[in-house]
Amino acid sequence: MTDRVAGDGAPLPHAWAPATPAWRTATQHWGLPLVIALGLAGTAWWLSGQPGGARLAPSLTFGALFGFVLQRSRFCFYCQWRDLLVDGDPRGLLGILAALAAGLAGYAIVLGAWMPDPSGARLPPDAHIGPVGPVLVLAGAVFGAGMAVSGSCISAHLYRLGEGAPIAPFALLGTAMGFVLGFATWNPLYLASVSEAPVIWLPRHLGYAGSLVLGLAVLAALAWPLLKRLPRPGPLEPRGANDPLRAVFAGRWPVWLGGIAVGAIGTFAYLRTGPLGVTAEIGGRARQAAGAAGLLPARLEGLDAFRGCATALRDAVLTPNGVFVAGLVLASFAAALAAGQFRPARPRLTHAARGLLGGVLLGWGAMTGLGCSVGTLLSGIMAGALSGWVFGIAMFAGAACTLWLGRRAGLLA
Amino acid sequence: MLKLSTCALAILVIALLPVPGSVAQEPTAKQDKAGTVRSDPSNSPLISTEWLEKTLDAGKLRVVEVSVEPGVFERGHIPGAQNIVWHTDLVETVSRDIAGPDKFAALVRRLGIDRDTTVVLYGDNNNWFAAWGAWVFAQYGLVENVKLLDGGRKKWEAEKRPLDTRAPEVAASNFSAATPSPALRARFSDVLAVARKERDEQILDIRSPDEFSGKIIAPAGVQELAIRAGHIPGSVNVPWAKAVNPDGTLKPVAELKALYAAAGIDGSKPIITSCRIGERSSHSWFVLSRVLGYPARNYDGSWTEYGNAVGVPVVNLAGTVWGGK
Repeated sequence: MTDRVAGDGAPLPHAWAPATPAWRTATQHWGLPLVIALGLAGTAWWLSGQPGGARLAPSLTFGALFGFVLQRSRFCFYCQWRDLLVDGDPRGLLGILAALAAGLAGYAIVLGAWMPDPSGARLPPDAHIGPVGPVLVLAGAVFGAGMAVSGSCISAHLYRLGEGAPIAPFALLGTAMGFVLGFATWNPLYLASVSEAPVIWLPRHLGYAGSLVLGLAVLAALAWPLLKRLPRPGPLEPRGANDPLRAVFAGRWPVWLGGIAVGAIGTFAYLRTGPLGVTAEIGGRARQAAGAAGLLPARLEGLDAFRGCATALRDAVLTPNGVFVAGLVLASFAAALAAGQFRPARPRLTHAARGLLGGVLLGWGAMTGLGCSVGTLLSGIMAGALSGWVFGIAMFAGAACTLWLGRRAGLLA
Repeated sequence: MLKLSTCALAILVIALLPVPGSVAQEPTAKQDKAGTVRSDPSNSPLISTEWLEKTLDAGKLRVVEVSVEPGVFERGHIPGAQNIVWHTDLVETVSRDIAGPDKFAALVRRLGIDRDTTVVLYGDNNNWFAAWGAWVFAQYGLVENVKLLDGGRKKWEAEKRPLDTRAPEVAASNFSAATPSPALRARFSDVLAVARKERDEQILDIRSPDEFSGKIIAPAGVQELAIRAGHIPGSVNVPWAKAVNPDGTLKPVAELKALYAAAGIDGSKPIITSCRIGERSSHSWFVLSRVLGYPARNYDGSWTEYGNAVGVPVVNLAGTVWGGK
């Protein structure tokens, strides 16, 4: 699951090999991705004329861009964390910090226009600013454990679905089951703790400038020791590195580049449709199905009043988050095909077991944490929510502990 | 001074505007042959989108959005518009009441509204909450100068008029609010007196026919917050949306009069509008009171108050027992 950062290692599609009939190989490698890209663009155009299209069309577009960027830069929270812990390679984690820094700055620009004075009692509209308390820590830690067991977080499973990863379908199924488990345990957690947990938005206390400076300072402090551990640059430039088409569509992007793109997409998505998040649709559909099957409490206390990846019941076939996730998976599929990284494999029993178990942990953590590594961590930190930082720390700690235990027990690589 | 200048401005605008067969630019509300409501700011409670776009830069004009869905205003509003968050700004958040004088005055000062400022309210969902805002404003004496944008957000967007995402900076006003006037608000005791035929007034229930008949307690997807189903004895049912054209604008005055007359409401008796929580009924209150000039009050306690009261008469046509049969 954890193929190394491969700025130099990704296999090249035949289209780049010399002395092959160019038009034929080009059609083979670019034909289907091009059809998918045109299909996505056409669907976005069609959606824009439908009722609700003002949100659906940009949601699909942002989802597709997000999926493309995740796939190209291997923007996977767990893989990057593992690269550092096991292989000592800090580059991926630096990419995540780059995403947070870019998004923090981008959100500050948007929020400053929307709510010039952040000091009142109000929160910015639909920004993911959640309650901070023991349940959030537990949610983050369990989510982190789920990442280690299943090999990825939810967003990475989604883009890997597009790469044909055999574990991804099981992990996503497990995630839906974990959501149902989360709903079933929500009421006691809410009454015992979440209802008392404060919702802390840093700009309210520090102002936008103060919150931005503090956020960037923390990110810089985290980046400092990582920068000192950067691997030596290789002696040779990878073949064809000067070809921009190849660099964009075939070679791996450096994660910092993907991170900056993620920060930009997060900002644009917040400006036009809503904060980035990948679990609202999974959670909402799981809630709908579980409700129909009689597996839910009659009432989920206080849940729908919180900010985060809302799981409120859906009455529409197409929802903004639904088309976002669909765009993500399809764009990742197209990107993987174009880069020769679509490698479907027959699932084995261990894939199913690890996927389902890890997925349940991911789902439970994302439900009780009101979002995942994207919705709560990325979109939360970018918006200046303390909940994003707390979830993030707990998540990385939970993943590290589970990885350590799993490696000791010989169960995890 | 203000009236003179706004009249002059309106006449100028009307003179300059092309008139594409619509009646949107006629000068007064009540003498129109077609009976259509119009958009002269000094005389009509309704403002047309066209007039508003051309008048956005006028000095004593404040445009305020009151939408239900959060984030709608921020992601694009009428240029220069300000925002009211209906579920915190216009109500008390602990007790069930409209915003008290201090809270309301602070809001209006922040919006830079004085008693002589023309205020144009608009919002999503056919101006539901914009109309509710107009009802709250009216109780604090801001009546004639508060208008609704005919067609609301929906029409503005459908006509592809510009939107802006920047929050405008306005100078705060010195508005001060006294106790709200009780004349526009019906209380439980008023409604009960009508139900018991102790008072000769009319109750207009604007909920859906199924809620009115008692078949259901609340619309689909909305929590049932009343213990009993049905309606207040003596009330008549005209769902609020019947007053609205498909494009979100209000129907012409003659049609509105006929609509309500068919239910026996012609303005000859005082009217009380009612719904589930008193917000949708503000829309009908606005139509009756401000557009048709009928004596109308809004009962914001509505069915969630009356349907929970002990020992009051109820009509339940559907024969519902609790929530079912």
